[in-house]
Amino acid sequence: MRNRKYKTKFPVARIKKIMQMDEDVGKVAQATPILISKALELFMQSLIDEACMETRAKNAKRLTAAHLKKTILEKDQFDFLRDIVENVADPQGDAGSGQKGGSGGGAGGGGTGATAAADFAGAMAAARKGAPAKLTDRIKGKATAKDEDEDDDYDNE
Amino acid sequence: MSDNERGGPEDDLSLPKATVQKLINEMMPDDIACAKDTRDLLIDCCVEFIHLLASEANEICEKETKKTIAAEHVITALKALGFDAYLPEVEVVLQDHKTQQKVKDKDKKSGRLENSGRSEEELLSEQLRLLAEAKERFRTQQQ
Repeated sequence: MRNRKYKTKFPVARIKKIMQMDEDVGKVAQATPILISKALELFMQSLIDEACMETRAKNAKRLTAAHLKKTILEKDQFDFLRDIVENVADPQGDAGSGQKGGSGGGAGGGGTGATAAADFAGAMAAARKGAPAKLTDRIKGKATAKDEDEDDDYDNE
Repeated sequence: MSDNERGGPEDDLSLPKATVQKLINEMMPDDIACAKDTRDLLIDCCVEFIHLLASEANEICEKETKKTIAAEHVITALKALGFDAYLPEVEVVLQDHKTQQKVKDKDKKSGRLENSGRSEEELLSEQLRLLAEAKERFRTQQQ
């Protein structure tokens, strides 16, 4: 794969603080945030690699939020990120909505504490139950299937 | 964000933008650039990943009725979450860490004390001297 020797590293102390935002998380061994840092590195590389494939498929030169969104929705491993990209505009949107999606994503993510906390709570719930995002997809999936059935009925006429 | 007061759990904690930007630049292919919005989104994804991993590792830790989330819990969590592909490199990091810890422990044991080349009497008088200096500093602080 790509060269794994990065110069930059995630701040280990910050990772520990982020972990402890979850009230259930108590003490953390010294090695733990160091391992998570490595896993995070691999995760980010994986996400970027996959998203760039979408960028190339669209013949674009810039990785956009829409590319990320599509990647996240398509890969099971990234299921837990669905809530985060919910506010991102779909590729069909115009450039204007693309920007809105970006600032919306910014406000939703790294902006105010309230929103971040809400996202965090929503994400924790989603991570634990795993149901909401997947349910929505199943419903969408069924809807599509129904449409196809209706088409078949017309054809059989 | 002008928060200079840090007290208690911080709800708007995220990863430092500059650091993440550098990493993104290292990870991106040469012919594709990363939009600023995308970088912010990537940061959110990273924070989310930390929460996911921490939560899973915590549950595993609790099942073992341990109070401290250990390295092994993180490794089991990665497997449980479907990130098996990350395991080899993560385990290398763990081994490196353990090795480093051993070196540190050896340093502590073999000790600056024994290796300092001073006799016990010299060490004792040095200790008394340091104590006296500290007392003096304390007194002047009080004034």
